[in-house]
This record gives sequence, structure tokens and C-alpha cells, in this order.
Amino acid sequence: MPETEGPAPRTEANAELVALLNATWFAADLPPQAQVRLASLARRYQASAGTTLLAEGQLANELGIVLSGRVSLRTLVPETGWITILTVEPGDVFGWSALVPPYRSTSTVVALQPVDVLALDGPGLRAALAADHDLAAALYPRVLQALARRLTATRLQMLDLFAR
Amino acid sequence: MTNVTKSAIGFLPRAGFQHLIELLAEDGRTVIGPTVADGAIVYGEIHHVADLPQGIGAEQAPGHYRLVHHADERFFAYAVGPTSWKRFVFPPTLALGESRRDDHGHVSFGPAPREIPRLAFLGVRACELAALGIEDRVFLGGPYTDEDYRARRANTLIVAVQCAEPAATCFCTSMGTGPGIRSGHDIALIELDEGFIVTAGTPAGSAIVTRLDLAEATAEQLTAGADQLAAARDRIGDPVVTAGLHDRLLAKLESPRWAQIAERCLACTNCTAACPTCFCTSVSQRSDLDGHTATTERRWDSCFTKGFAAVALGGNFRPRVQDRYRQWLTHKFATWIDQFGTSGCVGCGRCITWCPVGIDVREELNVIAPPPQVSAGPAEAAQPHAPRSSVFRVEGVRRETHDTVTLALSTPDGIDWSTARGEFVMVSLPAVGAVPISISRRLPRGLELTIRAVGPTTTVLTGLERGAEVGLSAPLGHGWPVAAAQEHDVVIVGGGMGLAPLRPIVDEILAARSRYGDVHIYYGARTPSDVLYTEELAAWAARDDLEVGVTVDRADATWLGRVGVVTHLFDRARWDGTKALAFVCGPERMIQATVNALAGRGLTPDRIFISMERHMECGVGLCGHCQVGPFFVCKDGPVFSLAQLGDVFGREGI
Amino acid sequence: MIRAATTPHPRLGVVKLASCDGCQLTLLNLEDELLAIAERLDIVEFPEATSHRSNGPYDVVLVEGSVSTPEQLEQIHEVRREAKLLVTIGACATAGGIQALRNFADHDAFRAAVYAHPEYIESLATAQPVADYVKVDAELRGCPINAAQLVELVTALLTGRRPNLPDEAVCAACKRAGRVCVMVAQGIPCLGPVTMTGCGALCPGYSRGCYGCFGPREQANVSSLSRQFISLGRSPQEAGRLFAGFTGYAEPYRDAIVELGGLPGASLAGERAHRAMGAGVNAEGKS
Repeated sequence: MPETEGPAPRTEANAELVALLNATWFAADLPPQAQVRLASLARRYQASAGTTLLAEGQLANELGIVLSGRVSLRTLVPETGWITILTVEPGDVFGWSALVPPYRSTSTVVALQPVDVLALDGPGLRAALAADHDLAAALYPRVLQALARRLTATRLQMLDLFAR
Repeated sequence: MTNVTKSAIGFLPRAGFQHLIELLAEDGRTVIGPTVADGAIVYGEIHHVADLPQGIGAEQAPGHYRLVHHADERFFAYAVGPTSWKRFVFPPTLALGESRRDDHGHVSFGPAPREIPRLAFLGVRACELAALGIEDRVFLGGPYTDEDYRARRANTLIVAVQCAEPAATCFCTSMGTGPGIRSGHDIALIELDEGFIVTAGTPAGSAIVTRLDLAEATAEQLTAGADQLAAARDRIGDPVVTAGLHDRLLAKLESPRWAQIAERCLACTNCTAACPTCFCTSVSQRSDLDGHTATTERRWDSCFTKGFAAVALGGNFRPRVQDRYRQWLTHKFATWIDQFGTSGCVGCGRCITWCPVGIDVREELNVIAPPPQVSAGPAEAAQPHAPRSSVFRVEGVRRETHDTVTLALSTPDGIDWSTARGEFVMVSLPAVGAVPISISRRLPRGLELTIRAVGPTTTVLTGLERGAEVGLSAPLGHGWPVAAAQEHDVVIVGGGMGLAPLRPIVDEILAARSRYGDVHIYYGARTPSDVLYTEELAAWAARDDLEVGVTVDRADATWLGRVGVVTHLFDRARWDGTKALAFVCGPERMIQATVNALAGRGLTPDRIFISMERHMECGVGLCGHCQVGPFFVCKDGPVFSLAQLGDVFGREGI
Repeated sequence: MIRAATTPHPRLGVVKLASCDGCQLTLLNLEDELLAIAERLDIVEFPEATSHRSNGPYDVVLVEGSVSTPEQLEQIHEVRREAKLLVTIGACATAGGIQALRNFADHDAFRAAVYAHPEYIESLATAQPVADYVKVDAELRGCPINAAQLVELVTALLTGRRPNLPDEAVCAACKRAGRVCVMVAQGIPCLGPVTMTGCGALCPGYSRGCYGCFGPREQANVSSLSRQFISLGRSPQEAGRLFAGFTGYAEPYRDAIVELGGLPGASLAGERAHRAMGAGVNAEGKS
């Protein structure tokens, strides 16, 4: 779990969280009920540059949506050091492992800049998706889109096109 | 001397043929004609009728050739053998130039000494006249011309002899080139048992013919000549249906037959060497031990060799034999028409006879593209000569990355290069080599080249110091249509070294910024230390009239910028691509991913421009290496719109 | 690269394993260039030219011969350690040479048949190209090597460019030289289509088929060519033997020989030799 700064979660009005969600690529234009439901599971936090938001192998208890700032997804390679595989830009998500068993993070997430994050509670979101099929039907395509984009990008990176 | 009245057709008795050979020699010409050597009728020097293959013919079949003896006394009773006339107008090896480089780095370039022999070709067939006509279009059609070819061709007198003994491998009838002689000759002969019907085709031919002791050809002789031509035509038949062959063949790029042919094909290059029109070459340098003086030499090459479509960094666009056979056959019978307005095949059958394993193009065409409309556009005419190297001096060296430098080069002759069009230059260093390099900036008295050390030549170039000299051709190729982007938004996407050729676009836009809409520059590099032009990128990013995005494939923890592929810089951007033009350069797979992402943003193929510069070799469209479908990348490109490339874009083995 | 006059000359060594010295003679026969080469390179070891021996280190070492004895096996590893650039020269060093034909047969049986006291003969069961044991930086093919290619290699080393050693079929050079194809015009089997150029298509120039002394070119289609030999009237085994010359042990000639029935005497070895060749390097070789 990330160290959070500032006041405790869930102090903001739900309407404000819905507005924030609607401004992100991930949650924009979802059905209003879905946005309200997500807002009810959300907490907002800020973190300074250099903060580790999630560590590889740790339980991913939240699905994070970057509101502003840049976060990096890293992995530690012995003798080489930390390698950044991808950066996540505003509007996109990190911590998708919160939705996929065994709910453990596949990389270490570090803020590269001061970040503003909207975090959706993992267990709560899973329960909501299992119970509310309309919510699931609206949200899963976004999750798939986000992951498919990363998958295709990873393939290109694997080709190491600029090497040799 | 002649007994023939002006309107009559002349007849040369067999006994008078020696006189013709002598007249050609008196005209200062070495006579080249058919003679028997090494079990075949080849073209060599002819001094006397005794050198001719009198009473000798040849039996030909796929992969098979044997001399046979005739009962008659004819000199020309054979079908074409292994030699073609191209050897005499387009020599197998040719010194192109000589260059020097001293210990102080001064370079100089000069032409190789050249002697153009004065020749007479004796015994040229109709299919061979057609082949010379095709070579004329290739070498003299422009925009760059082969001056050596021009000189040799101009110094040659052609005595054609109509074919009466076609081989089983002939198909000139199908290709529309023979067996009857129509044009391209100075003198035409029809051989009969007792002698030759003689006509002149040009004033030069006429000057010889009028000195021959000719009788008037009788009606019987003329009829016999016509009959033997008709018989020859009947014997050949029409083995290849050429109607619609261009489209039929190009529709079969994925035929399983290509792989089957590759099981037989030796990729030995015999077909291309025997072919009277194949023109591909490679250029290399030979030098003295110190690398002070070097000769640049051109030699026949072939699209069948593995190295032919190989490019820097170990890439090869046609790695498999099936790719190369397909390139050869589709070029010869289809894309040649797009390039030069005629088929590249004359139906002489040499590739069939001289294939060591007897692969028969007639059969392959009928299997791959079974029959029906021939398209033929007019040939483009153009003039200028192939460029020579001018000496440029290195004025500055900026190290961009561990293996890449930007050289600022100035021309000592003071020519203003800032307005010279063209996308790239051939950079040559005596004894080292010549490589095509894209211009990365135009300067008032020179230019900048950003060069990555990927091979021996570029390794030497990137090690040059201030004051060193290199040879540069004039700018070549069609560049980015930047002017077309005025009043439009512009999206520039570069990957790796691909940013270098894109930099002049940014320069040009910034020189008249108000004429363009929104300008987006997206750049992807391997790692942060591989990013080119870091200061300029920062300066561009600081402007409020440019959007600049930079990303890398991987980074260590100190990099605070973006990590990911270049398409992520714009696939969710807010701009509307339906009003934009895009310019893209980078490795092939990066271009493909970018093109897909741009299409997703609403850009249509006619507004996406890509550079295919990695294919280039000689730079002037004469060596044949860079062919992609119907295009020569160096002279038709290297910048193409996707709409232009059509389904050639991204296809395997093209 | 332009060398300053003060740069020390590169040290060149010539080392010989199992071979006939013919390739070294090619170097000695470079009458026009040898002096100029000797001025620019310190030739520190050259057994055919001088009995003086100096071990490395070498900037460049030219290795002639195949690895045929346990002693040579030790020697080649030592030479590799001492050399910046190791260049193999000739069919023996690059493909095993004529002595590698024993790899197709039973070594012990051969040895017993040839020598009165086979127990005095210390040789490896197979003769292998140098690259089977150590990393090779460049190779000059041929039996013997071509003088012009040798000069080109030395020039490239001295000027710092890539040597211009085309990897194309003998046919390409043969046709540039204006020769008539001996296979098509005379029915003579010729390895030209599958063999690398370098010799200048010498044999076809004398109405003989190429016997492959420069070894297989890239993507050599030996199966198509052997089918053609058979259709020219050769038996499969005869067709196979055409590949069994100075470079017969090089892939894919090796496979063609075995697939077409092997060599006479190979029956002594049978399956064993076949398996050993399939493995590429025999067990001793890996020591």
C-alpha cells in the first residue's frame, strides 16, 4: 500500500469524484450509474516524486487512475538495477493486478513526478463487478483496452527495433 | 558499285559476305559476331567468314544446349546462344572512377580512364534488337543516365540477321519482339541458302550497303525469305499468353508455387547473367594497401544473390530464394512495365536454356498466372548525368550518442546548397566506400549529416575529425512534401535514427511557422542515451507553437521522461487527424505500428508519408538493389505516401 | 583509417595445422605485394618462410590447416588466446580439407589399413575446421586460397574497411567472365551453382566442372543440384561423391554425400560415422 499524503480518503463529495473520473480516458463516458458506483469505491491521494505506490509481488489492493503526474512501472534486474518498462500518463491506470488473481503486483510503481491519484478499492471493486453485470459490461472493455495497448507496446519493445 | 536500283531490294551472294566483314573493319570497327567456342555459339571477334558457325546450329531445351551440324552452308542457322549483346554495351565489370585520400585527409575524385571501342554487331536477332531497346530505356531514360552505356551504344553499328531457326525455348512471338526484324538495326539481312537479302535501316547502314556488290533480290528470293519467317513464327507458336499478364501476375504474389520453384531454383544467377535485359549491378572499391588510391568498380550483380537486398544492421528484405525468384519474375513481366513502359522480357529463352536445372519461365508463368490486357505507359524521357562527387570539408563534429555523430559539412566551391532539393546524398570516402545518407539539415554553404556507425564505412565516417574531407553527390531522391502541408496540421513521427531525415522538415516549418497549423513532433528512441538532438528537442519543446513528445523503449531509474512506444505519444491525443499530414521515418516495424495508429486518428493513406531509405544502394536508380514492387526507392522515393505504395507496403519478401 | 607513420605495425602471424602449406605459398607468391605488406606488417611467425618462431601476441593470425591431432587441438586454443583477429585460410582450416573425408569412415580401420604401426599415429578420429573449436573472425576459402582475395583481406585490415569478398555462386563470376555453362552445353556436372566464388571460375574456363574447393555458398541448394546430376546420368552415389572433394565435410555438402549413399569405405563405419557427423563435433573434439 502506498504511503498517502494529506487527509484521509472519502472526504470529498461523490459528485466531485465523478467529475474527476469523467475527465480520465479510463472512466470517461461510462454510464452515469457506473461512474457513481466507482466513485463510491474511490479515494483520492497525492504522492511526491520518488514515492513507491506499489511494490512488485505485493498485494495490489487498489486499481489506481492517474489524474496528474507520471508514474513508472519498474522491475529490478540483479546487477543491472531498476529498469523502467513503461510510464503511465494521466488518464491511464496502474495496479490492474487488483482485478486479476492472485492480486499481486507485477511491477513496482514509483511516482516520477508529484502525482494525483484516484484509487479504487480492489476487493470492493471485485465484489461490485461480480454483483453488478451492467457495471462489469461497461468497465471490463476499458480494462481490456488498457491492457491490450500495453501488450502490443510490449511486443514492439521486445523487438528492440532501434538496437544493433 | 551496286547493281541495284534505288527502289529494289539488294541481294548479297554468299561468296560476297567476306566483303561485308571487311567493309565493317574498314569502317574502323571490331566485328563481333557468332562463333563456336566451348561447345556453344558465342559472340566473339569475327575477322573472316571462317570464324562464323557455318553449317552449325544448336539444339536447345530447358537446361540443355548441344551443337548440331546442318546439311546446309548457312552462317546464321541457329537460335541465340549463351552470350547476349549487353556484355558489349554494359560490360560485366567496369571501372567507374578513381579516388585518392592523403595522410592529411584531403580527398579527390576523378573518372576512370575509359576507352570506348568502335564495334559492329553482326547477327543480331529481332529479340536482341528489342532487348537493346529496353536497355536504352533503362540506362538512358533518366532521370540519371549511364554515360558509359550511351557512349558504347553510340559507337556500335548493328547488322541484324532475321531468325530462321528458332529453338524450342524461344517465345519472342508471345512477347511481340520477333522473329521478324522491324527496327533498331543499321543493316538487316535475311539469310537464304544462296546468300542474303540486304536492307539498310539507317544512313550509317546505308553507307556500308551501298559499297556492297549487290544483285537485285528476285521475287522468289523475297518469297523464300517471307516463307522462312512465317515458318519460324509457326514453330514458336504462342507459348505465353501475355494479355493481362501484368495484373494476373501481381495478383499472385502469395501463390504457393513460389516456394515450390525455390526447391528447384539454385539462385545461381545464370538466368540474370544470360538475360539480355537484366541490369542490376553492385559497386565496390579496390584500393592500395594504404588506402591512398582506390578504384570504384561496378560489376554485374543479380537479385538472386543473398546480399542483393541486404541492408545495414543485418537486415535483408528478400531473405528467401522464393522472395528472389518472385522479385525477378514479377519485375521482368510486370513491374518493369510500370517502371519503363515495356515488358522486361523479350522471349529469347536464354533463361530457360541456361538454367542449370531447366526452370522454364513459360511454364511457371502459365502455372502462377494462368490466362487474359497489356498495359504500357509511355517511357519518361530525361537527361541529366549521374552525379559526380564534390569534395566537402568537415567543419564540425557533434557527438549525438555513443555511436552517432552529426557532421557539419561545407562545400569549398561555394555552391548554395540550402535550396537544393533532394532527400539524401551519397557520401564517399576513397578506399572505404560510398553510402547513402539522409540530409539532416541544410546550411547556406553546406549541410549536416547525422551518421550512425553500423558498418565499416559509417564507422570510418563517424570517426572523421574537423578538417577531413569527404565526397558528396548532389542531393538525390524525392523528399518530404512539406509544402503540401501548408495550411494543415503536421504530425512528425520519428524512431531511432529516423529523426535525422525529419529534422529538415522542422527547420522548414519553423522558417515559416505561421503557414502551418498545429505541429506535433513525436520521437521514440531505444534508451535515454540514444536520443538524438537532445538540446534541439528541448528547445522545440520549450516553444508554445510545437508539441513535442519523446519516449524511450527502456530506461534506468534516473530517467524521468516517458517510457513506452512512440505510438503511445499520440494514440489518445486530442487532436483531429482528419486535417493533418504525417511524416514518418524509422525502422520498418516502427513505421507499421505508427501508420496503424495514425490511421486510427483519422489520417488517410494519401496523407501519410514514410521514408524507405534503408533500401537504397547506388542512389541513382541504376543498380537495381532498392526495388520495391514497381518502385526504385532511390529515384522514385525514398519518401512515398502510403497510397502510392499500396499493398507493397509491409509485404514479406518484396 | 589513415595510420600515422608512428603507429606500430600490426603483428601478423601465420600458423599451420594439418595442411599442405599451399596456402602459405600463395602468400609467398605475392611477388608484387609481399614487400609492401612486409613494410606495413610485422610478420612475426611464418613457418613456410622462416624457421624462426615467435609466439604471440598477434594482431592478426592466419591459420592454415585443419585440427587433426590432439597436439593441434591444444595449439589452436593457444593461438586463439594470443590473437586479436583470427583468420582461417584455405579449405583445410575453413572446412576440414581433403583429410576430413576420413570423417565419413572408420578412423581406426583406416589407420590400421594405412600404417604399419598404427599405434604410433596419434590423430583425432576426425579432422575438423578450426571454427569447430575456436571463434574465427574471418575466413578465406579455397584450395588453395586466391591471391587477390588475400591481398584484399590484408588491405581491408590495414585501411579499416570491410574486405570485399562476395558470397555468391561461382556461376556469377563464370558468367561475368563470359564462360559457357559446362553443365548445360556439355552435360558435365559442376558444383558452381552451390559453391562460393573466389577462384574466378577457373575450372569451367577449362571445360571442367567446378569441384567446390571454395566450399558451399550461402543457401546452397544441393538437393536440387544433385537431382540434376542424377538426371544427367549419374547414379545417386556418384552424384554424392561429386560433393566429396576438398570441402566435402562442410555443410550442406556433407549431408548430400551421406544422403546419396556415402563414400566407399564409409560402410566400415556405418551408423557410427553418421551419428558422429550428425552431432557435428565428436566427443574428443569438445575436450
